Order: sequence, then C-alpha cells, then structure tokens
Amino acid sequence: MVLYKREVIRNRKSTMLWTSILLSYNVCMLLLYPSMAGSLKDSMDIMLQSFPKEMIVAFGLDRVSMTEILGFYNTYCYLLVTILGGIFAVLQGSSILSKEEDEKTIEFLLSKPVTRNKIITAKILAVVTNIVILNTIISLISFITIELVKNESYNRRILLLLFIAPVFMQITFAAIGFIISIFIVKARVNFPTGVGIVLGCYFISIIASISSKVDFLKYFTPFKYVDGANIITKQSIEPIYLIIMAIVTAICIVATYIIYNKKDIVA
Amino acid sequence: MNAVEIKSLTKEYGKSRGIIDVNLEIKEGEVFGFIGPNGAGKSTTIRTILNYIMPTNGKAEIFGLDCFTQSEKIKRQIGYLPSEVHYYDDMKVKELLKYSASFYNKDCSKKISELCDALELDTNKKLEELSFGNKKKVGIVQALLHEPKLLILDEPTSGLDPLMQNKFFELLKEENKKGVTIFFSSHVLTEVQKMCDRVAIIKEGKILNIESIDNLRANTYKKIKIELKNPENNAFDNFIGVVNRTVHDNCIEFLFNGQVDKVIKKLYEYDVKNIWIEEPQLEEIFMHYYE
Repeated sequence: MVLYKREVIRNRKSTMLWTSILLSYNVCMLLLYPSMAGSLKDSMDIMLQSFPKEMIVAFGLDRVSMTEILGFYNTYCYLLVTILGGIFAVLQGSSILSKEEDEKTIEFLLSKPVTRNKIITAKILAVVTNIVILNTIISLISFITIELVKNESYNRRILLLLFIAPVFMQITFAAIGFIISIFIVKARVNFPTGVGIVLGCYFISIIASISSKVDFLKYFTPFKYVDGANIITKQSIEPIYLIIMAIVTAICIVATYIIYNKKDIVA
Repeated sequence: MNAVEIKSLTKEYGKSRGIIDVNLEIKEGEVFGFIGPNGAGKSTTIRTILNYIMPTNGKAEIFGLDCFTQSEKIKRQIGYLPSEVHYYDDMKVKELLKYSASFYNKDCSKKISELCDALELDTNKKLEELSFGNKKKVGIVQALLHEPKLLILDEPTSGLDPLMQNKFFELLKEENKKGVTIFFSSHVLTEVQKMCDRVAIIKEGKILNIESIDNLRANTYKKIKIELKNPENNAFDNFIGVVNRTVHDNCIEFLFNGQVDKVIKKLYEYDVKNIWIEEPQLEEIFMHYYE
C-alpha cells in the first residue's frame, strides 16, 4: 500500500501532462465539429471522394462518416487517444519497474522488508491507476464537450465503448512495456523501443486495412482490436479481440513476475 | 544462535570471478570485519546473502532464517548500507527517512531525529542537492532508524570526512553495546583494527583466513624505502623484522614488522638521502602473509 501510493504520487506529473495534452487536443477538435457538420459538410464530402481509396479505408472513413458526431470523434479524437495513450501506457509500463535499477534506487528498496512480488504488484496497480485516471478525465471532458457541440442525437452506449476500449488497449501496451523492461533496463533504450512498438503496431493496422490479402495482420496489432470504426458499426468490441488482449496481458505480466524474481539485481 | 551462518556459498558469474565456497559464522553481538582487495568478492557475498543476487550453490542463514526464501522476514531485523548510495531524486531527506521507516511496523521518528542530530544532517534538503558524504549519512540513518539487530555495512566510511568517520564509529560502538551485531566490509585496515573482534580475509573469491583482530594487530607492517647516497648492497640484509627486501640502484625497500626505533638507530650507520615510511596497502600484506 505504501509502495502503491508512492508510485502513483511519483508519476502524477507525467500522468497530468499527458492528460492535459490529450484533453486540450480533443476539446479543440470537438469545437470544430459544428462547422464541419454544418456549413463545411458538403465541401468535406466532396473532398473525401478525391482521397485515395486506401486512405479512406485506413481511417475507417468507408464505414463511418466524418460529419456525424461519433464518426467525427473517431477520426479526429479517438485516433490520438489510442496512439498517444498507447505511447503513454507503454512508457509507464517500461519505466516504472526498470527505473529502480536504472537509477540504482533498487538497492535501497530491496533492503527493506518487501518481496519482489509486492514491488511488482504495487507498480502494476499504479500503472493501471494512471491509465484509468487519464482515460476517465479525458472521457468525461470529451463527453461534456460532445454534448455541447452536437447537433443530433447519437448512441451514448457506443460512445461509452469508445471511451472504455482505449483503456483495455493501453493496459495491453503497458503489459508489453513491463516485459520489455525486464530485459532492457536502461531508459534511453527502452523508451524508443516502446514507442517504436506502438507506432509499429499502428502502421501494421494501416497496412492490414489496405488489402484483404494481409487482413490477418489485424490480429497482430492492438489498434485493430479497438478499431473505432469497427466499434461504431458493430456497436461492440468484438470478443475475440478482448480475449487476445487479455491473453497477451496475462502472459506478459506472469512472465514479468517469474523472470524478475529470478533476476540478479546488479545496480 | 549465530547471527549469520554462511555455508559453501558460491556465485559464478560466467566469465568474471564471483565467490567460491565461502564459509563464515558471525556470532550475535560481534563486530565482524570483512576485508580483501578490490574485486575480491566482499560485495558479492553481502549481496548474495541479502538476496539481491542468486547463489549458484551453498546456504546462508541470518538469525536462523533462510536468506533465499525468508528474505523479507530477515530484512525486518537488519539494516544495510551499500557502498554506493542512490536515492530518489524527487524526495527530501526527511521524506526518504519517513518512507524508509514506513516499511517497519514501529514509530522511528525519535530515533531518526537522534541520528540526524548526531550526524549533523539537514533533513530539509532535497536528496539530489546533497554531496556524496551527506548522501552517505542518509544511508547510515536509514540503516539504523528501525533499531535492527544486525547491521551489514559495505565500505561504510568511504566518502566521509575524518570527523564524521569518528562520529560514525561512535554510533556503531553504541549500537554494539546494546547487543547489535555488526558485519562490515572495508578497505581500510586501521578502521577494521579499531572496531572489529574478528576479521575474515577474502581474496579472488575465496576466504583466505578468519582471525581475531589481536592476531592481525601483531602482524602489521610498515613499508620502508630508503635512498642512500652510496649503493650499499648489504644494508638491512638479515635485519630482524625485515621481509620482502629489494635493492634497486641506491634504494632499499622492505616491509618491517617490529620496533621502528631499531630501524632508525640502524640508519645512523648510513648516509641517508631520502626515506619513505608508509602504511602498506592491504594487498602487500596479503602477498607476504599468504605466500
């Protein structure tokens, strides 16, 4: 409990920074909605038709319309919540355990009456807490903004799914971050590795939508698991994707516990 | 019950040398020194019994508890000061000490202020602003604040000024009077001689010897180098107490165990140009002592 509290407090600046950035971005974008859906609506539709087909598919614009509030949220806000949120999560996961070794404070911590399991558990819970805080605040403010700028009714349940889905996907990335940090301790190496993995997954999701030949790639990237257009059209998060995220998270976390307990801590 | 029992402890690192078949017993209430050259295995031994690194072989127990499976329980009763101290940059001294105390189920605030006063430690400073010596002081306080029964200190006085070193040893003496067992590793023979009841000497991963400090005291040497005006090949040859005598040009070098006065009186027989008298490095004593 002591450990958990300390970790949440220690990371508060980072959490607040990322939350503020995503929040401001979302609100600014949503404030543009009235003009998009209103006077610019026709010109937007015409412009879209001139885009290459692949791009339209990649952004899910073949299934949802940018000029409706949910489609607009998906194209402009959801994209960044998943990309930046994913990066935030992977950085949290990959740094929170390894920084004790990187900054050599682990020598102090391990001299206290505390097991390595307790340390790992506290840090996992802290990361999940931060992810939930980030998404809750962004979702709340985005919801209020949406209510202010909407000009039609929309399915609130789908919006809720669009708020919840990133949490699952970010927890998955955080778990991947944890297992990376077991092997790569130095922050200057595991940061770019984590960011690279998130961006790599995003690019895989783009490629997966371009051709039906590589459609199988959709199982290899969390961006497809929580694809916004998918959620809107199917009105749910597909169970297969939830299962994949749960399994990946579980494997990473269990591996973290096992390997960390056997590791030599050489500060 | 022995405070610490280490049996056949081995740690192999693959290429670089670890520790091999280390056996040690430390009695409760003892002050036990652990000396050896750089890289001999002092820190490796300590970090293995503290469960930072996993042993290849062997057993270790502290207060009858297994070091590898009951480490959490053990750590309730011990205080550890590593050779290099690193703390959380975002904390102030008093926050770190409070955080440290929160791991033990007791109120340590009185002990904390006593120790900080004794070591003249400003608890309001941020940890990242502290000098190395002051960080070391924080380390000493966090090792002692929960009144542990066993103190494990890895080169505790490195970085402290001589005044603080004395204060630190006084603190240790007081703790020892209360029955606290002290296990410390050091490079500095003089502080080992001052504090310890017994000493283990480790070299290249193996324990060479464990002896009482009285025996070691009887065997301290001075390293003497004399530059003579004229080459004298027989000077100090077969002189009682001289060992490892070497002659090079006009210089004679040796280790001397005995009354220094006899050397000085002997020097009157020669034209002495220059003389160096030093406390020998630990390695030099080892090299003679364990030939």
